[in-house]
Amino acid sequence: MTEPTQGRKEAAERDRILEHSYDGIQEYDNPMPQWWVVTFWLTIVFSVFYYLNPFNTGVGSGMKAEYDADMVAFRAAHPANSGGGNARELLAVVARKSEVAEGKKIYAGKCAACHAADGGGMIGPNLTDNAWIHGGTIDSIYATVNNGVLAKGMPAWGKLLKDDEMQEVVAYVWTLRGSTPAKPKAAEGVVAAQ
Amino acid sequence: MTVAAVAAHPSAVTPLDAFSYDDDIVRKFMVACVAWGAIGMLIGVLIALQLANPAFNLGLEYTSFGRLRPLHTNAVIFAFGGNAFFTGCYYSTQRLLKARMYSDALSKIHFWGWQLIILAAALTLPLGFTQAKEYAELEWPIDIAITVIWVVFAVNFIGTLIKRRERHLYVALWFYLASIITVALLHIFNNLAIPAGLFKSYSIYAGVQDAFMQWWYGHNAVAFFLTTPFLGLMYYFMPKAAEGPVFSYRLSILHFWSLVFMYIWAGPHHLHYTSLPEWASTLGMVFSVMLWAPSWGGMINGLLTLRGSWHKVVNDPVLKFFVIGITAYGMSTFEGPMLSIKSVNGLAHYSDWIIAHVHTGALGWNGFITFGMIYWLLPRLFQAPLYSKKLAELHFWIGTFGIILYVVAIYSAGVTQGLMWRAFDETGRLMYPDFIETVVRLLPMYWVRVVGGSLYVVGVFMLAWNIFMTWRARPAVYTEQMVFAAPLAKRWSEPVIPKPTGEGLIGWVRAMRYHRKWEAMPVLFSVMVTIAVAIASLFEIIPTFLIKSNVPTIASVKPYTPLELYGRDVYIKEGCFNCHSQQIRPLRYETERYGEYSKPGESVYDHPFLWGSKRNGPDLAREGGKYPNLWHVTHFNNPRDIVTGSLMPAYPHFAKTPIPWADIQTRVGVMAMLGVPYGNAVTNAVSMAKKQAQDVATDIEKNGGPVGLQDMEIVAIVAYVQRLGQDIKLANAAPPVAARATTTPAVAQSARRMLP
Repeated sequence: MTEPTQGRKEAAERDRILEHSYDGIQEYDNPMPQWWVVTFWLTIVFSVFYYLNPFNTGVGSGMKAEYDADMVAFRAAHPANSGGGNARELLAVVARKSEVAEGKKIYAGKCAACHAADGGGMIGPNLTDNAWIHGGTIDSIYATVNNGVLAKGMPAWGKLLKDDEMQEVVAYVWTLRGSTPAKPKAAEGVVAAQ
Repeated sequence: MTVAAVAAHPSAVTPLDAFSYDDDIVRKFMVACVAWGAIGMLIGVLIALQLANPAFNLGLEYTSFGRLRPLHTNAVIFAFGGNAFFTGCYYSTQRLLKARMYSDALSKIHFWGWQLIILAAALTLPLGFTQAKEYAELEWPIDIAITVIWVVFAVNFIGTLIKRRERHLYVALWFYLASIITVALLHIFNNLAIPAGLFKSYSIYAGVQDAFMQWWYGHNAVAFFLTTPFLGLMYYFMPKAAEGPVFSYRLSILHFWSLVFMYIWAGPHHLHYTSLPEWASTLGMVFSVMLWAPSWGGMINGLLTLRGSWHKVVNDPVLKFFVIGITAYGMSTFEGPMLSIKSVNGLAHYSDWIIAHVHTGALGWNGFITFGMIYWLLPRLFQAPLYSKKLAELHFWIGTFGIILYVVAIYSAGVTQGLMWRAFDETGRLMYPDFIETVVRLLPMYWVRVVGGSLYVVGVFMLAWNIFMTWRARPAVYTEQMVFAAPLAKRWSEPVIPKPTGEGLIGWVRAMRYHRKWEAMPVLFSVMVTIAVAIASLFEIIPTFLIKSNVPTIASVKPYTPLELYGRDVYIKEGCFNCHSQQIRPLRYETERYGEYSKPGESVYDHPFLWGSKRNGPDLAREGGKYPNLWHVTHFNNPRDIVTGSLMPAYPHFAKTPIPWADIQTRVGVMAMLGVPYGNAVTNAVSMAKKQAQDVATDIEKNGGPVGLQDMEIVAIVAYVQRLGQDIKLANAAPPVAARATTTPAVAQSARRMLP
């Protein structure tokens, strides 16, 4: 087998030193490594192709179109929950101690910052009295928690909590009624029918 | 040695000039480099501690994360990196050109001027004077000083080029030249602003355009302050330390020009998925991808210069530092193009991944090249043997170990958080809807970073000790080595360069010998570099500014009220943008978490833009109206009262610091000068602001909050935060009913109605 011409030529070029010298520093006239040259040109070819985007095979349909398509597919796969709570089902949860205890934990993490740890109210209204701004039945409380009161800074927790967590935390809030908080906020809203 | 080399030169028949090199200035820059480096890195350790435990904010407004983070970045980039560049540049330029610096006086002005600028930064940043642009935080008087000192440096450098005794410019000098020219352009055009006080100004650009200019600057600060200067240093000190020729002259030509031309386009990759027009961010991405090979050209030329000398690495700490430094350069310049790919960027942007990427480059490349260079210089500058080679070896190992701990921990943190942000459960809800869940998960990694970073700083103190002890062994008087070299002849023509035989045109192009002629013409060379960087800049800047459709306006977006504008200035002063973005990307997990994605028309009055680049806390683009005023008052006073585990510093001083009412009129006036339609507010900003402040304070009081806040900064920043993202809601919905008068969004709206 004979050595390819290319190889011989490269061997001849290898480590040929250039005549100049700067403060004693010299330079070889070595050819650039093949793989480097290939990488250099390939990235350029890729970039031109990607930017020109023939038949949407480069950059694609654009970030907004992609986002819209993603949202449509996602909404179809995950229909929004009904937003309503079933009163009978919720009252059944209230009766189950372990679930109320779970609800208490969620309350401590998400609600206590505004409604106080004991439900006495602070940034948000008092949850221990009989007065309710957005309805005092258990299903209307569920609706308030689920949809939030965005104008007043109450988030829509239905987007953040799972269905069972929603039920647990609403059940816990229901049990707060009639308790005696340390620093109760003055009653707001309409007194609920007993 | 130099004398002998000159004597052998054919031109030795002409009379030789006798001169000496100015090494005193090199010693000065070197000491400044290490001193500022140690300070900047210690501040880095402090802010790393703050992210692990907010108690390290020390309860002072001056030492909170938002104010110290810019101090850390400015100190390590411009004080450590800058002085390192000047150290190596002043040493090598004189020797490569066989000429003393053009003017010793200019050298001294450059040195002292630069150190004073750093001192000014160290004082003003903790005081909260900032332009809110990353790595360009310094306020306008300091910016002017930087410009002047940079021009002094440029004149000194170019003057030395003119009186050089070496006909051709070596590759290191090409890199220095490109750095000097481009940094000047970047600095001037990004910092254009109108002053609104001694240490307060507003960027002349707003929103999308300001973001574009900032990242054109920001990315190229990395390119022309941390990459090209250090490549220049590598090209001088690597072959010196390895005592062997550079691997490939042709490679240095191709990678130099492609690097200089391509880098400048890449900035918009910092703005993927933002309101920046997509054509620009796509351009930023493809040019970043194309930068991979040019960057690696430098790595190859550095590492392959060691061919046949690898055995020396075992015994030489200098070469060890260079090998790891160049390897880190290779790693981060592979990672950079990868991060610029949109889908990768979607995961990494706003996360710690970027911080890890930056520190591979900064600790590995900039740090280790600097340390290697200093160890090589020490015996030469102090004319005494290095105090302890063992200590230098130890510095190398402890530094390397520190880098590994740092980057492994922070890469893990970044990827963890990025994945948590985008995780959905089977019901289609965000798996981690509370932002804080994605923060507390990172704490162990943050502690590892503290350890890694501290080890690295310990290494720097070892270096400082080595410098000190070597300096102590210096001679009573430094010997000034006389150098003899012939001046350049006035008339001269480049010898005809023989074409490589039998290879035709392609061979001639490939051999690149024609480039040699340009190396003897520094003026032409500078012009070519300027053209290369200017073309790229103009190709992106002109359309961004001129095409109206790039920023579709939204009719309901109105200027901030005077009080909100002041609140925004408080937000800027505290550096809130260091941890909170205001830019929601059109990605499902972003809009589910934060709300509708950000539109270009929303930030048309944002001088400067405050989109942010990192989320240590959640995005705030839709924060307005999300919580009641009292929530914010309580939260600012101590975030942990509301969010358990929050890392945010407490801002109790907001409720105690009075609003300087008189300043508000000036600031509104400057905004109006910049074209913000302020209408009536131009004359009665103060009374408008006072009225809105009273409304906010009354609302806080009515809900059981603290009393008498109407003159305090807290109402201004609350008013600002409550305004964020409100205007676009008006574009989407019918005007809200008046019954909401007690809520803050309504307060903001009523105040806004006073505007035209």
